[in-house]
Amino acid sequence: MAVVTKENKNVWYLPGVMGGLWITMKHLIKNLTNKKQMITLNYPEEKYEYSPRFKGNHILTVKKDGAIRCTACMLCATNCPAECITIKASEHPDAHVEKYPINYEIDMLRCVFCGFCEEACPVDAIRLGPEWQTPGLNGANFIYDINHLAYRPQLKGGVQSAVDDKDRNKAGI
Amino acid sequence: MSAQYNSTQTKYLSEFYHLPEFKGLEGYKKHGGYADLAKALKMQPQAIIDEVKASGLRGRGGAGFSTGMKWGFLPKNNEPRYLLCNADEGEPGTFKDRMMMEKAPHQLIEGMIISAFAINSKKSYIYVRGEYDDSINALEAAIQEAYKAGYLGKNILGSGFDHDMDVYRGAGAYICGEETGMISSLEGLKGQPKLKPPFPAVQGYLKKPTIVNNVETLAVVKYVIRDGAAHYRTFGTEKSAGTKLFSLSGNITKPGNYEVPLAFPLKDMIYGLGGGFKPGRKLKAVIPGGSSAPVLTAEEAERATLDYENLAQMGTMLGSGAIIVIDDAQCMVQCLANLTHFYHHESCGQCTPCREGTGWLDKIVHSILAGKGRMQDIELLIKVADNMKGKTICALSDAAALPVLSFVTKFRDEFEYFVREGKSKVKGTAFKGASHVEMHH
Amino acid sequence: MLKCTINGVELEVKPGTTIIQAMNENAQKIAHYCWHPGLSIAGVCRLCMVEVEGNPRVQIACNTMITEGMKVNNTSEKVKDAVKWGLDFHLINHPLDCPICDQAGECGLQDQYMEYGKYNPEMAEAKQKKHKVVDLGPTVVLDSERCILCSRCVRFTDEVSKTNELGIFNRGDHAEIGTHDGKQLDNKYSLNTVDICPVGALTSKDFRFKQRVWYLKDSETICNGCSTGCNVKVYFNKEGLFRVKPKHNEAVNGYWMCDEGRDTYKFVNKEHRMLKGYKYAAGSWHNETHAGVAAKDAAEFLKAVKSEDIYLVLTGQHTVEEYEAMLETFVNTYKTKNVFHWWPQEAQASEFDGLLIRGDKNPNTAGLKQALAKFGINTKWSDLEQSLKSGKVKELVVIGPENFAVYKDLDQKIELFANAEHLVYATSVKVPALENCKTLKMATVIPLKSYIEKDGTFVNHAGLAQKFKKATTVVSEALTGTELAQLLSGKALQINPVSEKALFTAVSNTRPDQVTLDHRKKNEFVFNRGRL
Repeated sequence: MAVVTKENKNVWYLPGVMGGLWITMKHLIKNLTNKKQMITLNYPEEKYEYSPRFKGNHILTVKKDGAIRCTACMLCATNCPAECITIKASEHPDAHVEKYPINYEIDMLRCVFCGFCEEACPVDAIRLGPEWQTPGLNGANFIYDINHLAYRPQLKGGVQSAVDDKDRNKAGI
Repeated sequence: MSAQYNSTQTKYLSEFYHLPEFKGLEGYKKHGGYADLAKALKMQPQAIIDEVKASGLRGRGGAGFSTGMKWGFLPKNNEPRYLLCNADEGEPGTFKDRMMMEKAPHQLIEGMIISAFAINSKKSYIYVRGEYDDSINALEAAIQEAYKAGYLGKNILGSGFDHDMDVYRGAGAYICGEETGMISSLEGLKGQPKLKPPFPAVQGYLKKPTIVNNVETLAVVKYVIRDGAAHYRTFGTEKSAGTKLFSLSGNITKPGNYEVPLAFPLKDMIYGLGGGFKPGRKLKAVIPGGSSAPVLTAEEAERATLDYENLAQMGTMLGSGAIIVIDDAQCMVQCLANLTHFYHHESCGQCTPCREGTGWLDKIVHSILAGKGRMQDIELLIKVADNMKGKTICALSDAAALPVLSFVTKFRDEFEYFVREGKSKVKGTAFKGASHVEMHH
Repeated sequence: MLKCTINGVELEVKPGTTIIQAMNENAQKIAHYCWHPGLSIAGVCRLCMVEVEGNPRVQIACNTMITEGMKVNNTSEKVKDAVKWGLDFHLINHPLDCPICDQAGECGLQDQYMEYGKYNPEMAEAKQKKHKVVDLGPTVVLDSERCILCSRCVRFTDEVSKTNELGIFNRGDHAEIGTHDGKQLDNKYSLNTVDICPVGALTSKDFRFKQRVWYLKDSETICNGCSTGCNVKVYFNKEGLFRVKPKHNEAVNGYWMCDEGRDTYKFVNKEHRMLKGYKYAAGSWHNETHAGVAAKDAAEFLKAVKSEDIYLVLTGQHTVEEYEAMLETFVNTYKTKNVFHWWPQEAQASEFDGLLIRGDKNPNTAGLKQALAKFGINTKWSDLEQSLKSGKVKELVVIGPENFAVYKDLDQKIELFANAEHLVYATSVKVPALENCKTLKMATVIPLKSYIEKDGTFVNHAGLAQKFKKATTVVSEALTGTELAQLLSGKALQINPVSEKALFTAVSNTRPDQVTLDHRKKNEFVFNRGRL
């Protein structure tokens, strides 16, 4: 072990400090005189418009008849690096559906919003949506259950997946 | 017409087929019936086998395996053994056995008793295709006559040899024409070929040694005994001895069964006996040995002679001797669709390459027919057929693959035209055959 | 013995061995679906292709006997191509069900696809549609589309269970597995068909959709369902146990196990288990206590009474080691020979169904008998009954059965045990009859570990001693019988020291991807991730 020392070449630091302060001052004056060019927002009155690809809170998509599209294959849970997805599967009364989730929970406090679940999903059943301002008072409020993920009021009855059932049947899925 | 054909001596089997009385016992006996049985029963069984071996008689059902040699595979002990007659004539284009059974059931029965005596079998079955009502009736009547006359049952003609014979009606599956498939069916199991080894001559029907021969093969045995092996060998060639019944069908003026010596030119068969084509039509292709045989082009057909070795040299086979003639008004894609549909329908479903491959081939050909073909489908047909060859328990997979390979390679331009244009190269053909791939349960 | 060369390795095999058997026994890889060592040869999947020197065509290994000097390989391009196409024929009509298929993760098609996959699907046509979710019987569900018609299940019902329920119906590519009208796949070995199914066509109703298999760990143990002592694998994760499958042992169970044995995992799961120690005194149950505390209290009671008033009841459901520790405590420490064998199936003990199931539903009756003989104990159950009824019994220690579904007399026996002044009942599962017993005087209940959670030995009906290892821990507080015996004798629990050196060598032997001491000495940081 050795302590690594560095030779101090620049003894005259004061001009540097002054230079830095001048840049701060310049921006202060600019922002005060020209508010439109300001790069910060007056949150929460102003809100930032994110790109459509923004990975926010999860949504479970639904089929045409409004049922949840998820087949409980658990590939999202397997793929999840934060291990925040818990699924309980069951036998569906309709033989063509066969398997479906009776419980699907995401622990939002553990989620790292990596989007791996979205990528792993073979049936386009889970998506990361645009929603991100979801404060809560209690830790338990952040464990989203299946109804919240699919049918919360903001989703207005659920988001339908673009993948059509007929096409999928044709492809033999 | 060939000079050779006119001689009545070349007609072994079909000499008296034109006489309705030949069907009954009296008429049959008038024309030399059961005389050879009496002769054979005085011989040593081994002498009969040797005679058959010397005659060079080859199985007439399709594979063309030496009959004498097949009998020689039986274990030399006193274990009970069975003789089965394969009359499940299912190969598209073949209808010779049917004629033989309807016109001369006693001929087959006599040949079978001689063969059974040679291999020391006490029991034989004739497995007849379920659709052959007339054949079954004729055989059953003839067997009863034979029992009454003492040709079947205990102590036949005072020789001390006992033999019983039964007719078994198949339920209509092509695969039961395969010898082990037939044995399964006879045992009451699902008609599926069995794994070989063990071969039927060692372990067949009811796990006992079993010989399975075609109708024609067994009937011919009578004549080999009558005239001797040397005389039989005067017809045909060294490796393809004797005469054979050919079923001529397709776009020909005079379709029917013709008995000719082997090595008969195919050209003479089509233009001579068959009477050629309708006016304005000409030869396009010939399937020389039943639907499983690879197709010959017109040019190849001109050169071919009807014997085992020449056709093998041309990459096809004599098979069961069903010559299907195709003239130039036919679309080869549609012809192939008929064949692939047949094999798709008849695959027993045991081995994966055949079960899935026959369906796949059928679906590809039908998608070409529907105008949805892709250029790569033609190559895919060859690849799939290639990988079905020689990979399964029985030869049905090969039988399905070979026509596909020969049709696609020899008439590739027609397939390419169909894919490109979405319609047949031959004008005025609309597919009337099997139009649906999905079958109902 | 015949000499042959397989993939360049010279082998000696017995005459009559097929190529696939020789390869299987010598750990050579060969793709196959229809062949199973415990069933007859079907030769229908056509995947076990090999090239034999002198034969221009590839042939199947399962129906080819090895002959002297035979040279075989299955690594040539020709064979690989044949297997690749063979596999593709299996897959063209196979649905892409993997996400909802229970077999995913342990599926033969997935495994072989990694090795021999064509990776460019050429099938553009519509797939064959067949029946899905067919209810075959009380235990098994069939999905015909996934089925590859290897006929293993059909051969199993024909040859092993001899019940002939299954068959293949229709022909060609619409052939399907099925049962005759009105008949069901309902026999005592039906779930073996699920094990041998190489794909997800047959799934177990019990395990269906419970877990994805990659979330499960497995461990080998001995089934405690009956005295046959089948070798099994249990599958578990932190949520509990999920299924039991047979493990091959030619001397005991071959490749199979019964359906009853597959249910034995159920009572091991937490919801059925006794989690804490309990005490009963003055007509009511008291607050739960720690298992160790309950055992120590019981030891105090034992010390306080005369040795002839102490009685012990054992069942054939525990390990040989536990019996010996208990007998050591009671015979040597407390000097009592009042040890009784509780065995409800004594009359049916010789029953046998001809395959695996035996009338004696205890895994270790023979082991218990051996232990009792070793300590010179020869008692009759009727003596205990008399003593209990006459009120002579001051201290009764019962090591209760864990699989009490097979102890039909449990409720009556609890009533009987309640006659004791003080009952110590050690059990791994909850016993409702004990909780509801009105006639109890004083009792201590001690939680025990189940057979999945401990090392030990079971001796089966034929006297074969089989050692097994602990698989997982479900109730960490519960005691093993050995620990209980130690606590009851008044001693404290011992922890067996393991030498550091042995531990580290063991670790470096089993985990090659770990940083070993050698590497540390050289001051190098080596980290291999190992195979994923």
